[in-house]
Amino acid sequence: MAKKNQINIFEESKPHESGKKHVNGQAIYTDDILEPEGTLYGAIGYIKESNALINKIDLTDVYKSEGVVSVVTEEDIPGINDVGPVFPGDPIFPSKKVEYSGQPLFAVAATSTELARKAVLKAKIKYKKIKSIISIKDALLKKSFLVKPKIISKGNASKSIRDSKNYLSGNFYTGSQEHFYLEGQISMTVPLEDGDFLVYTSTQHPSETQQILAKMLNQSSNTISVVVRRIGGGFGGKETQSFIFAAISTLLSYKTNLPVKLKIDRDDDIIITGKRHDFYSEYEVGFENDGKINGVKIKLASRCGFSPDLSLAINDRALFHIDNTYFIPNITVTNYLCKTNTASNTAFRGFGGPQGMMCIENIIENISSKLSIDPKIIRMVNFYKINKNNTTHYNMKIKDNIINELFNDLITSSNYNKRVEKIKKFNSENQYLKKGISITPVKFGISFTTTFLNQAGALVHIYTDGSVQINHGGIEMGQGTYTKISQIASNELGLPLDKIINTSTNTEKVPNTSASAASATTDLNGAAVLDAINKIKENINNYVKNKYKINTDNVMYINEKIIYQNKYFKFKDLIKEVYLNRYSLSSTGYYSTPKIFFDPKKFKGSPFYYFAYGAAVSEVLIDTLTGENKVLQVDILHDVGKSINKAIDIGQIEGGFIQGMGWLTMEEVLWNSDGQILTHSPSTYKIPSVSDMPKVFNVNIYKDGINIENAINRSKTTGEPPLMLAMSVFFAIKNAISSISEYKIYPKLDSPATPEKILTSINEIKEFNENTRF
Amino acid sequence: MTSDVIRFIHNDKIIEIKDSDPNETVLNYVREKYKKTGTKEGCAEGGCGACTIVVGTLNKNNIDYEAINSCIAFLPMINGKQLILVEDLAKDSKSLHPVQEAMYNFHGSQCGFCTPGFVMSLFAMFKNNYIYDDETIKDSISGNLCRCTGYNPIIKAAKSLNGKNKSDKFFKNKNLTINLLKRINNDNYNIDNNKRKFFSPKNISDLKKILKQYPNSDILNGGTDLSLRVTKERNNLNSIIYLGSIKELKYIKQNERFIEVGASTPLIKFEGIVKKFYPDFYKILKRYGSVQIRNVATISGNIATASPIGDTLPILLSLNANIVISDHKGNKIMPLNGFFINYRKTILKKGQFIKSVQIPFSKNNIFKAYKVSKRIDDDISSICGSFNINIKKNIIKEIFIAYGGMSATPKRALNCEKALLNNDFSKESFILAQKSLEKDFSPIDDVRASANYRKEIAKNLLLKCFLEIKNNKKIEING
Repeated sequence: MAKKNQINIFEESKPHESGKKHVNGQAIYTDDILEPEGTLYGAIGYIKESNALINKIDLTDVYKSEGVVSVVTEEDIPGINDVGPVFPGDPIFPSKKVEYSGQPLFAVAATSTELARKAVLKAKIKYKKIKSIISIKDALLKKSFLVKPKIISKGNASKSIRDSKNYLSGNFYTGSQEHFYLEGQISMTVPLEDGDFLVYTSTQHPSETQQILAKMLNQSSNTISVVVRRIGGGFGGKETQSFIFAAISTLLSYKTNLPVKLKIDRDDDIIITGKRHDFYSEYEVGFENDGKINGVKIKLASRCGFSPDLSLAINDRALFHIDNTYFIPNITVTNYLCKTNTASNTAFRGFGGPQGMMCIENIIENISSKLSIDPKIIRMVNFYKINKNNTTHYNMKIKDNIINELFNDLITSSNYNKRVEKIKKFNSENQYLKKGISITPVKFGISFTTTFLNQAGALVHIYTDGSVQINHGGIEMGQGTYTKISQIASNELGLPLDKIINTSTNTEKVPNTSASAASATTDLNGAAVLDAINKIKENINNYVKNKYKINTDNVMYINEKIIYQNKYFKFKDLIKEVYLNRYSLSSTGYYSTPKIFFDPKKFKGSPFYYFAYGAAVSEVLIDTLTGENKVLQVDILHDVGKSINKAIDIGQIEGGFIQGMGWLTMEEVLWNSDGQILTHSPSTYKIPSVSDMPKVFNVNIYKDGINIENAINRSKTTGEPPLMLAMSVFFAIKNAISSISEYKIYPKLDSPATPEKILTSINEIKEFNENTRF
Repeated sequence: MTSDVIRFIHNDKIIEIKDSDPNETVLNYVREKYKKTGTKEGCAEGGCGACTIVVGTLNKNNIDYEAINSCIAFLPMINGKQLILVEDLAKDSKSLHPVQEAMYNFHGSQCGFCTPGFVMSLFAMFKNNYIYDDETIKDSISGNLCRCTGYNPIIKAAKSLNGKNKSDKFFKNKNLTINLLKRINNDNYNIDNNKRKFFSPKNISDLKKILKQYPNSDILNGGTDLSLRVTKERNNLNSIIYLGSIKELKYIKQNERFIEVGASTPLIKFEGIVKKFYPDFYKILKRYGSVQIRNVATISGNIATASPIGDTLPILLSLNANIVISDHKGNKIMPLNGFFINYRKTILKKGQFIKSVQIPFSKNNIFKAYKVSKRIDDDISSICGSFNINIKKNIIKEIFIAYGGMSATPKRALNCEKALLNNDFSKESFILAQKSLEKDFSPIDDVRASANYRKEIAKNLLLKCFLEIKNNKKIEING
């Protein structure tokens, strides 16, 4: 076989493979595909009731509405009326009962999107309202759960807490988050011959789209092709939430036998699709005088919405990350998956991990306040170590721990200790403006925790002119996976990037792919592409061996040349020669992540191939009269292993951080008591904009980073982990609030820390101050 | 002369559109009819900037390059202008415009969907400025959302434009473009097809005639609010009268007593003028929507919309602004205070329009205004407070306070004013006056803030106003 023969040092900051097309408007997204003659346009009808029995759907006026060509309801579905990814429960159109406000009930195809959208408003729907459950607390009270509560434990938490010198209890809430991908949900279906369909859709998961559409139509998967060149952001919001739109455009196309484009208006997008799970937790913790945690008991509840979707895996990931970087000798977590009459909450960058981490970080901060010890010290005391205290609560031995070194490096490089003193001085001199600072660590496990998903396929062609096409199951959603994988191919074949095209992700080329999710896209698909290339190289070697009788060991592919020990060829020439001599220049490739295993029943095993680490220091300023806040400075040190592309990695770190900051500060998803979402447009739901950037933003890659596992280029992914660096912003805000009590009281503050919540928290401290007369 | 043909310049050609639907947005036209898909739809309400295009507007012998949200601009609004799309910037298909080059080189795109909008906002910045400092850059892209990058590489790209050669193809073709613009810039545009009417008069006398004849029309004067009735509520606007082509309504004059702003003067022109008189007014205008919004939105549009959270309204109320109301009978000057009747209701009658706004100078007064919202840029106020005070020998001789976001209309805090008037300028007076705010307002809960928070902030802003004057030092986090 072809040996590993390239020296893998890219680390270069190659621009995004579509960068030029992004800036000149030539990059084609689903809505930009030239529509075939006769294309119809869809829109979805729904009612704004969160729990209701449907009596009658009268669509007479919808049919009559200008431009309407066809209408579909659940009766038009020939096969399975469900787009649930793992478990059933997500009907395309429910037959009897609406379970959240905005749940699709029917759809129309019309001659324009505008006319279709006007038409759906004309339905007359009779229904009977049922009392709905909206909040986590209500669901807990009424025991409304998707599955029965799960308990995971290690050691004896109750006893260790009892035996501890110190005890604390409390509760904590982290809010939901809307994905707000700039490209909204969209799908276009084109009917082919024999009842086959070609589907262009903005999804992170073409294969599952294909399977679901096939089941919906009662056809086999080989009749459906799904093609995705790129998507305008996903962040988890198109891992499963895209399915229903592909299903509806395909159903309309099936009924009309015409191409149908279904473009979802922003408000409807936010109303119909699920978001990040909000989590509510109650904890008890026992700890030593130095802050060392002996035991923790946590009740961890999440709002899952009306159906399971991915909620089980998301809650699992919260459980996997409830330790973050800390060794907790005794722990019990009871996990409640609350079923509510809201859209089905779903994947969002971090996938439950951030929510789990926030829970333990809040506990750490409370311990610090109770003991009057800088939280940095409490964190360090509890960190996982190298030769001891290195096994997680799910029994995985951590072999790549670098958090102790990384954290120390950041304390030094960010000048943390001096800044703490300066901030205290500032606060003592300013009555109304207060500063706060925090340093928080991140350890994030990489791999799908559902083990079988950790596989990927690829298809690589070398054409007779020496040009190369690569294809794989990964979706380009801005994270740069096409760029990184093209770099991998370029490096492996010794060709410049412009000789390589990464073609659209296509279920016809690579079947049975996993979602582009879990930060694993480049790790998995890059390795599969590498495998395909190595198989082609083997063919080339075989030819060379037969023809020239030379040793093909240690062949090098460099600068468009193929170099053997005693002979070299121009790449192009040898390719042509290999073809003329009838050897294959095309190959599939395959990869499955080694070493991982997990027993979900016992909740024990090694579900992750490796961990990614990082830490951040944030400094904030708050106005105690209004609760407004500003991030003044952020210092990040993040581990990317040996980077494949530094520019892309920095981009992921900065972008992930800002997205996390949005989650924890200004992005507030609100429902009214009837379960209608109130924040369904950019005018009411605020994601960070340019002025929210930290005034000083120092982002550094950890210099000693290397992946001890054989991931591609020994790199580590940067997809999700950086989001959690933003925890430092939240705790810096709390630190600033705490200063009002001269750090004697640790404030109660739930996420997101909006100006209103900050002011409420300040008031609570002020009241306490007055009552106790500091 | 009246024409029913929309004419605009695109790539130095005159494009003519007959029989257009006046409810069609520029975005839909460009994407669906023109098949130029570089311009993206992100929200269809002017809140994300993905649809940003630039229109070139003739300004004497020059061209102003205005970034606007094409998703909430109706097609007739580009009549007589130059349309510039992201596809048009580079001089040929093989090269990139300097702005595009910078975005590419500094890794300013990730998923790329917001990118054309950023490119267009930065293009307008590039054309309209010579120095691209932090403030200019942030202002230019505050109406563009990016969910991937966190903005850092985009800011770096924008900074790298400093010192770049500005002679792009638009610079080279400028005279040609100006001549073309002059050729198409003359007529009233009126369309009255079977379904919908759209009138775009060129002067006030034609406007009055049309208003008299079609008093039930909606007046379009910026349209950043009105257009949502089409793009979001899925209604039709069957008769529209557009004020944006009337030069007589585009002016800013000042005399000794006041500044007068013509009805269809875009806010972006006004903000530069008001800066030297009322710096806090300027600061709030900078947070009013975005450049794309302020390029079309007008102060009188803001007044006539009468939103309880319109950012200019509490400010104008506390500055004792007057408005000039006009119809075919003549003009009438009245104080803004009294104009708002109820939620989005005013005393403006059918057939009337706001001709101008007069903002008095009060040179001996101290003026302060504060806006509190979840986000700094392009957010609607939870509450906006505005304070206009005259202090002589530590006695409050005059005081005008108004708040937005505290009731169904923007409103003066008369009880609070009364509590302070002729009293000492002291903390005690202000603490006492805080209480009377409770008599002035009973705000409601909504997605932006709870009633309690609003009440409290109203009080705290009053206190902040006192503290800032007293200590002659701002209490602000964005300083």
